[in-house]
This record gives sequence, C-alpha cells and structure tokens, in this order.
Amino acid sequence: MKTSLVKVSISPQNIEVELPVNSDLTELEFELHNQEAIPFGCRSGACGACLIEVVSGGVDALTPKGDAESAFLSVLGYEGESYRLACQCRVLDTVTISPISQRG
Amino acid sequence: MKNRVKHCGLEHRQPFLSAAGSVRLRAEIDAIIDRQIERWYDTVPYAAHLEGKSVNSEYYQRHLIETAWRIRLLRVSESKALAEIAKRSPEAAQIWANYEREEMLHDELFIQDLERAGVTREQFLATEPYLSTKLLTGFFSYLLDHEGPLGVVAYSYLVEYVNVKLEPRKIEALKGSVGETNIAGQISHSHTDINDDHPGEVWQAIRFLLRSDEDVQNLKRYLDEHQTILAMYFKELYEDKVLPLEKKAA
Repeated sequence: MKTSLVKVSISPQNIEVELPVNSDLTELEFELHNQEAIPFGCRSGACGACLIEVVSGGVDALTPKGDAESAFLSVLGYEGESYRLACQCRVLDTVTISPISQRG
Repeated sequence: MKNRVKHCGLEHRQPFLSAAGSVRLRAEIDAIIDRQIERWYDTVPYAAHLEGKSVNSEYYQRHLIETAWRIRLLRVSESKALAEIAKRSPEAAQIWANYEREEMLHDELFIQDLERAGVTREQFLATEPYLSTKLLTGFFSYLLDHEGPLGVVAYSYLVEYVNVKLEPRKIEALKGSVGETNIAGQISHSHTDINDDHPGEVWQAIRFLLRSDEDVQNLKRYLDEHQTILAMYFKELYEDKVLPLEKKAA
C-alpha cells in the first residue's frame, strides 16, 4: 500500500519532515527525535505550549480549528486564523509552521 | 547508585512504528478485519438478523440487554487497563483515557432504547448477563494480569472498526423495523463512534503500545480471539431466543 505523504516545514529551525496525510502534528515529536521542533505539553489543547503560526501553505493545510481551540487561543491573545495549537491539528497538505516559543 | 524506577512509560519514547509504518499496518489490520467480517456473516447464526426488514423482538431486547451489560462490565477492566497502559506509554494512556471518557456511560443509551422497547431498568438490572458476556469480561481480566493491555485495546479497535463500517447499515434497517424514535440511543452511540473517529483514536493507542514485530503478531491473534468470543455470544443469543422457535415450528 502506498502512503500519501505531505511535507511539513518548521521555521526558523529549517526542519523538514514528511508525514502521512491526516497525521496528528504531535507526530513531529517522534519523527524529529532529539531535535528542537515544537514543545508539546498536555496534547489536549489546554496548556498552549505548542502554539504555532502557519507561515505558508494556508490554513486549509491543517484540519479546521474547533471552538475550544479558538476560545483558548483567544485567551492566549492569538486570535488570528493563522495561529493554532499544534496538538489539535492534523496535516492535510504541504505547510510551513513556526512555533511561537522558538521565536525568542 | 542505580535508579530503581521502572514501568513509568518513558523507556520507549520513540514509537516502534513510524507515522507511515503505522498507516501501513493499520491498512493491513483493516483488511484482516474485513475478512473476519465476511467469515462472520458466513458462520455465525443470525449474524445479519438486525439488518433485516423484520426483527425478532425478544432477540432484539436481549441483544440490547447484553450490550448494556457488556459496556457496564468491561468499563471496570478497561479502567484497570488505563493503569497498565500508563506503565508502558503515557501517550497511549492519554488517548485511552479520552476514549473511555466518551464511551464509559454509553450503557445508558442502550438502557434508554430498552425502555423504548418495553424493558424497564428494573427488568434489565434483574437479568443476569449471558455466560459469553461474563467470559469476555473474564478474558479482559486475564489479559491484564498475564499478557498486558494490548489485547484489551485490540478489542476496542475491532469493535470500533466494525461499528463504523456496519452500524450505519444496521441503524437504517432498525429505523424501518423498530422505528427511528425507538433507537435514539443507538443512533447517538453510533454518532460518537463515527464523528469522534473512535477507530482512529484507538488505533493511535495501539500504535504507541506496539514495541516489536512480536507485538504485531500478538495484535492479530487478539483480533481473532475476540471474534471467537463474540461469536460465542451470538451463538448463545441465537440458541436462547431463536432456536427454540425454530424447533417448535419444525
């Protein structure tokens, strides 16, 4: 069976990884073992550790934002549509994301 | 001095299967279950009864009773499974806890449909489960004590996969035979499985529990064993509610 893969790029670290379509972005933690990529915490959309911005590829490259995620992002002060909690996303298409915590 | 702490689920941070490997194995397992389903329809008496145009009401009522009991009994061992899973994989434990949160009280949905079918809560509680239902519960306890949690999680994958694949067909048939308003609980149960992608959730838990090719082989054996026990249940149900009628008519 052939698995459809999509490319996920992470900036500013310049990391690229291919994941099967519809994979949870939490897969990055395992695919990029020992590399500084996205710091996942609760993995349930409650802590905000994995806050990212979609830099290119568009918001449709990830599964849509749910109400709970939108509400928490609002609490965090990141209301734009390009901001996401990575643990709540599945990847649908080629995308470049940037973890807010890595921006210094 | 050596650190004596173990069984905390941090020893195998990197999953045995990559993301792509997990997708490939899931497709292989789904194909195996598809073949099991075909065999099921060929060999289990009355396997497609609830998908037919008319329904034996005693068979239907007892099936709801056993389903509610199964959920009530298995949630005890499935809760114990959470501790065993957490010892092996915190990621799998989080997924399992969320899945159980969503499924844990679904016996109520079946009890509501039982009341719509004329069986009171008191009658349900006064009905002792079939031996096959007790044996499935016992098998879960055995697995947790002696083989680990993979077999328990494998059962949920089998049931969720089959539910999402076959339940819509059964629900459509029951709307005609029993009436849509009388199966509201079963419709809600099916919505949860499908809309919340329960097969996908349970598969992720399995993926984190697999640590070797031997585990993969064990997963396949568990699916086969669970189907054998479920077939025992459907045989028991048939022999209790249908066979006597067939003998009488003959």
